[in-house]
Formats: sequence, C-alpha cells, structure tokens
Amino acid sequence: MLRYQKKYFCKFRVFTSFRHMRRSHENKYAVYLMTEALMHIIYKKDLCIDLRAAQLIVQDRMMLQNAREMPVLCDIREVRRVNKPARDYLALEGSQWITALAFLIDPPVTDVISSIYLGTHAQTIPTRSFTKKSEALAFLKKHG
Amino acid sequence: MPNTDDFRVKRIQKMLLEMAKGNFFYSLEPSEKNDNIASLVVMLNMVNEEIAAAFIHQGFANAHNTPQCIIQLSLILDAQGQIELVTNGTCSLLSCMPKDLIGKHITELMTENSQRTWSKKMVKHLKRDRSETVLFLEFITNDGLFLAKDCQISVYQALDGSGQKIVLNSVFFSKGEPFETGLPKNKLKVTKGIKEHKVTLTPEDIQMIREVHDTILNNLDKDLPSLKDLALHMGTNEYKLKYGFKQIYGTTIFRFLTQERLRKSKTLIQHSNLSLKEIAHMNGFKSAAHFSRAFRDKYGKTPTDLRR
Repeated sequence: MLRYQKKYFCKFRVFTSFRHMRRSHENKYAVYLMTEALMHIIYKKDLCIDLRAAQLIVQDRMMLQNAREMPVLCDIREVRRVNKPARDYLALEGSQWITALAFLIDPPVTDVISSIYLGTHAQTIPTRSFTKKSEALAFLKKHG
Repeated sequence: MPNTDDFRVKRIQKMLLEMAKGNFFYSLEPSEKNDNIASLVVMLNMVNEEIAAAFIHQGFANAHNTPQCIIQLSLILDAQGQIELVTNGTCSLLSCMPKDLIGKHITELMTENSQRTWSKKMVKHLKRDRSETVLFLEFITNDGLFLAKDCQISVYQALDGSGQKIVLNSVFFSKGEPFETGLPKNKLKVTKGIKEHKVTLTPEDIQMIREVHDTILNNLDKDLPSLKDLALHMGTNEYKLKYGFKQIYGTTIFRFLTQERLRKSKTLIQHSNLSLKEIAHMNGFKSAAHFSRAFRDKYGKTPTDLRR
C-alpha cells in the first residue's frame, strides 16, 4: 500500500501549506484549489474535454482528496466542449467522493453545456449551476 | 467570412439536415465565442451525441426493424500519406468526388489537432514493416462539418515491392438509406435477442423504465430488490420490466447493475488506496471473490493485477 501511495505522490507536485490545510495542483486541463471545506476546480480555457482529459481530471482530484468526501465547485466558464464519452465518465466514475456539486457558468455557452449534462445524466448528489460564485458557495455550504 | 452569423447559421442548417437524414456522426466546429449562436452549436453537438448513442442500441422507441447500415471510411495511402484509393462511402462521408481526394495528402482533410496527432504518431509506425494502431482523428468535410472517430490504421508492405502503404479504416452507423445507392443488402442489427420477447411499450412505460435505470444508477451500493418487488413498486409487471429494460437499454437489469458497479470500482482501484475488499463492499458486491471474478470477466484482468 505504501509503495502505491508513493507512486502517486511522485507523479506531480502538490503544494501544501499545513497551517491552513490548503493544497493546490495544476494539470493540462484544470487548476485545483483544495481547502478544509471544499474543492475548487477551474477548467482551463478553450480545451475540448474528451475521455482522456476527463480521466486525468478525475484522477488528480481523487489523488488530492485521498478518500475524503467533500463538496466541489467546478468553474467551467472557459470550457467550450465536453464530448459524450467524457460526460458519461464524469457522471459515473467521476462523481465519487463528491457530496455536492456546483457549476460556475457564464451564459449562454456553458449554461447550455451544464443544462444538457444535468438533463441527460442521473445525479446521485445535489448538483446545480450558478452564475455567481457567492451563490454557488452558499449552495455547497448548505448541501455539502 | 467564417465568423459571420450568416455563415454559422448555414453550418447549423447543414448539420440539422444530416441529422434529419439519420446521420449522427457529424459535428460542428466549436468556437471560442460565448454568444447565442455558439451556444446553439454546442447544444446541437451534444444533442447529436446523445441521439447517436441511443440510436446504436435502438433505444427509446419500438423500432426493431429500422434499417441501419454501415458506411465505411476507407482509404489507402502511400508511405508519405498521399491518398491512392478511396471508397465511394468515403467520398459520400466527406462530400467530395474521388478525383478531389486522390493525390491529396491525408492531412489536408484533417483539423489542425489531428494533423499534429498524425505527424507525431505515424513516424513511429512507419519505421516498422508492419504496424497497427488506432488513432482518434477529426476530418473536415467539404461542407465544413466535422467527422471525428477512432480510425484503425495499418501499415503494410506492398507485394509489388513499391514499399510501404497505409490503410485507414473507420466505421459509421447510419439510419435508413444515407446515400442514393439503394438499400444495403445486409441490414445490421446491433442488439440481439429481442425477437422472442417483444413487449409493446407506451410512452409511460418507457418513462417508468428510465426511472428504474436512474434509480439503479443512484443506488449502486445497495442491494437490488427482486424484479417482482421492483415491478410492483413501479406499478408494472415483471415481464414488462424485464424485457422492456432489455429492449430499451440493450442489456438485462442485473448485467447493467454489475457493469455500472464495476465502472465505479475500476476508478477506485486506480485512484485510491482503499483495499479491494472495501471497494467491493462500497459498490454492493457481496464478496471480494465475486467482485474479482466479475471484474476479470469485464476488463480481462483481476483488480489485483490492475493495481500492480
């Protein structure tokens, strides 16, 4: 088990400040900011999220969380495309260890993306889209 | 020009026309803009993908005998990537004439992303005498629509000594008669075994079965009640539930449950330090042995092998 853990942590750099238990991490597709209370994921600009991207996004999130369940704020305002295999993966495999999920959107494009995603995939956890970050945070606080 | 609203709306119309014909394999180029037309393009692409996925196993409708056919994208290229041969299907897919394609370089038909993939990956394969790979490639048709698909690529040695050749193949499903060449002789049937148990499903039945589907998805960790109890709970009978589910989703309820449980477990095996026993229990498997067996049947290796 230890070896397995080690293998993971060598893969990328995780910046930790133990005093506030904040961690951040970045990969090709997203920036992660984790605090005690929630996980904040900001998707990067103009990338097409395909299955491979979705898998990496989920893998890194799970590595950071290390089996801790928490609410997630997903800033998808810069996303322009998430294809079907990626959506299916995010909805099932990619929804583990999440207690509540808020999308931060910027209408009209990301509004449409989140609406179709929410409308076509069964949600196991409270999930909603917001245009204001403060409202999203309030939602996560209530349901997370 | 490509950015004027007129131009973008024309592209959307072309895409809708293809969908109306039953061709769900095209897509529109996503744009960086965040305006209403861009949102329509995004929506059309996503709706198209959802319909295409439903259509493959003939779901959501009692349409067992909808004629379906395969259109094959098939090209032979020389070692440099110049097109030597195209099939008629390929020409129709790309809305080009054969003479427009032959002699062209294959990358001229691709998006920039795919051009990069092609030049990066093919170097390695062309070093060998024989080689096979699958690449995800995006082509642009003459009408400006996108055609994205995993393509099977084989490198081989020509028998006449003219050196290396490349075969590029991919398969698309289409509904009905896609092109004006008459009905195909062999109709494709993707799902099997729905002949013996035909049930007539009303829209309410379909809605009910979709609810069952979603309920199972949301309760993967819990035991599934017997089909009889489940049917009773949903206000239907066992027969309709059992065969209706198979008809719509192309698999049995229990197989679907196991398959979805395994998908979740796989992610946990890969990205967590939880013990296999814990993962098995979290996902509703009664014993680690049963989990391991089911996992191997689906993915070809045991959970222990995957973690190593």
